[in-house]
Amino acid sequence: MEPAEVEFLAEKELVTIVPNFSLDRIHLIGGDLGPFNPGLPVEVPVWLAISLKQRQKCRVIAPEWMDVGKLEEIRDQERKEDTFTRMPSPYYMELTKLLLNYASDNIPKADEIRTLVKDTWDTRIAKLRLSADSFVRQQEVHAKLDNLTLMEINTTGTFLTQALDHMYKLRTNLQPGETAHSQDF
Amino acid sequence: MGWAVCPIRFAKEGDRFFIGQSAVRRRPIISGADLAPSLSRGGPRQPPFLRCLPAAFPSPRRSCSAAMFVSDCRREFYDVIVSQRVLLLVASDVDALCACKILQALFQCDHVPYTLVPVSGWQELETAFLEHKDQFKYFVFINCGANVDLLEILQPEEDTVFFVCDSHRPINVVNVYNDTQIKLLVKQDDDLDVPAYDDIFRDDEDEEEDSENESDGSEPSEKRRRFEEDVIERTMKRRQRREWEARRREILFDYEQYEYHGTSSAMVMFDLAWMMSKDLNDMLWWAIVGLTDQWVQDKITQMKYVTDIGILQRHVSRHNHRNEDEENSLSIDCMRIAFEYDLRLALYQHWSLYESLCNTSYTSASLKLWSVQGQKRLQEFLADMGLPLKQVKQKFNSMDMSLKENLREMIEESASKFGMKDLRVQTFSIHFGFKNKFSASDIVYAAVSLMENVEKEGPEAANFIKALDSLSRGNLDKLHQGLNLAKKQLRAIHQTIASCICTNLVISQGPFLYCSLMETKNKRCKLLPLIMAAPMDVEQGTVIMVGIPPETESSDKKNFFGRAFEKAADSTNSRTLHNHFDMSIIELKTEDRSKFLDALISLLS
Repeated sequence: MEPAEVEFLAEKELVTIVPNFSLDRIHLIGGDLGPFNPGLPVEVPVWLAISLKQRQKCRVIAPEWMDVGKLEEIRDQERKEDTFTRMPSPYYMELTKLLLNYASDNIPKADEIRTLVKDTWDTRIAKLRLSADSFVRQQEVHAKLDNLTLMEINTTGTFLTQALDHMYKLRTNLQPGETAHSQDF
Repeated sequence: MGWAVCPIRFAKEGDRFFIGQSAVRRRPIISGADLAPSLSRGGPRQPPFLRCLPAAFPSPRRSCSAAMFVSDCRREFYDVIVSQRVLLLVASDVDALCACKILQALFQCDHVPYTLVPVSGWQELETAFLEHKDQFKYFVFINCGANVDLLEILQPEEDTVFFVCDSHRPINVVNVYNDTQIKLLVKQDDDLDVPAYDDIFRDDEDEEEDSENESDGSEPSEKRRRFEEDVIERTMKRRQRREWEARRREILFDYEQYEYHGTSSAMVMFDLAWMMSKDLNDMLWWAIVGLTDQWVQDKITQMKYVTDIGILQRHVSRHNHRNEDEENSLSIDCMRIAFEYDLRLALYQHWSLYESLCNTSYTSASLKLWSVQGQKRLQEFLADMGLPLKQVKQKFNSMDMSLKENLREMIEESASKFGMKDLRVQTFSIHFGFKNKFSASDIVYAAVSLMENVEKEGPEAANFIKALDSLSRGNLDKLHQGLNLAKKQLRAIHQTIASCICTNLVISQGPFLYCSLMETKNKRCKLLPLIMAAPMDVEQGTVIMVGIPPETESSDKKNFFGRAFEKAADSTNSRTLHNHFDMSIIELKTEDRSKFLDALISLLS
């Protein structure tokens, strides 16, 4: 998948906004949204929140996990453990990027949050690289990784599968002597 | 005949000239010798210089209430156009650009379809209008159109509505008193002094009544008596009418004598946004840039500038108070506006301090930097502040921190010793990201230089669009290009001025100083007004002339040259063209220059 596709899927997540206009309930294919009343918080998908924010029609409220204290805990725990810890949202990276790009004036301490999320991401990708490396080296057949998010899988996925393919080809080409009949003169 | 003024317009093919009474009670007078020479000759299409003076008594729809100022901006302007297609006609100055940006931002939020047409003069305005008049019903004029009779020039359909947001004053009386087609977006507390309706307009029914009375009559003696009474009545009425006309001429003359500028259009637009609660920090910044443009170009008085800065300061603190709060401070990428009591040196943070001192008009004029004495004085000035020459000549950002720390106070102290009392000015600066800090005047200089960029790189409006883009935060490369161009422009301007003064090109012509660039001893120059002439188009042999009123302490920035030029041109039958929205800038045929100047001299002395 392209990273853009993963981001597209991430935009379906719900986030709370406070609109400044009023509109009745709208019925979309994926479900109902609204009603919108000025000053009353309402949950909408991220794609709608970003669009409304760009048109100055709402104020975005940061998700509860997007808080300096909580993110510090998560980062520290990630650094401690060898395996992957559970992330507050399956799309934490995409949501952070979207919300901090378009609504950074509604999110307190946006710069620190950006740094913390990036630290957590780096730690997890490092772990992923390590485990991919050992997987290939030890020629294992089966591996199980919990708590990975789609974006991380997508980052290493293509590379990992291609690398394994190459390894397989190289390995099969190492043993031609057994199967091929050489001609003895 | 009272001269209600109209800017000169080009004759186009198919223009009909009304000679004598027309059905609509208009009587344009066409100045004889210049009647479309090229059209009559059938020669190549040269722009003919033609003058049209419209009627004595135009008759707008009678309106007793104070005219067509839009009092509730939101209801009468925005709500009307929000569901329609709109044509924006924007003049080519930075204030107009900023107003346009604010309006565009509002339109984008509300998905209003609009077309933007930049216009740099009356010709382009008319062409654009003629091109688009079938497709649009609502037109918005930004920084153009208030000081002329729009209906007369453009002749729109009955249901077309013009919204005019212009800082040029005085507003033409027809525009003020028309209540259907022209809506003026002007702040009510701008001192406008519009003459009362009854003093300028009146219906002419009385004339016709008189003629009817004559036909009635039964007996000869009664008829004779009534006839005498009628004669007396008629003479009385005619006398009254003449007195009224004379008073009207006087009132109009006083009203239209001087040209000046009112509140910046960008600020008016920001007000509109604020009333709709859609104002943003970005829009506030554009309003600030618009106001600063008026001040940099010397269009408003110091008092007005300070008052407007006060108004904007309130908005700035409303939007930017979170910067002080440590708890919830904003991301560094968010835009912040800060109030500053900054130095008046052009572009000094993007240049070296030395260059900036040499190329700012205020300092270069006060220190007289074109002379050797002046250069010495500059050195003394720098020495007085304790700034080493090496430091001062390098880029400002690389100067020693210890020198930069108290720079503003130091310069102010030393400057007052050298006769420069107003070296510091109240202004705002914008700050986003880690390295982007600009002062409002920087942006103004950059945008001006982009718009006046002589190297034409693309289609006609490309410069305008580039300047418009440079006002957005995302287009920093254009802004930097603008800053570089601005430096070049300022340097060129000051070199030209220096050479002019040094080679004694400024001649005293009696009531004013005259300086002609290109040809071949200045004394009390401060108190005299200045007229500058420069060749405009060599093939067509035209010259552009600008009239600049004298610079005095208490100047109210009222420019009388517009009317003076018109009168002089009138009396000598010179072929002139008022294409600029500013009446004090005209184009003139080179051959007519000397007699025009003579007429001007006699007029002003």
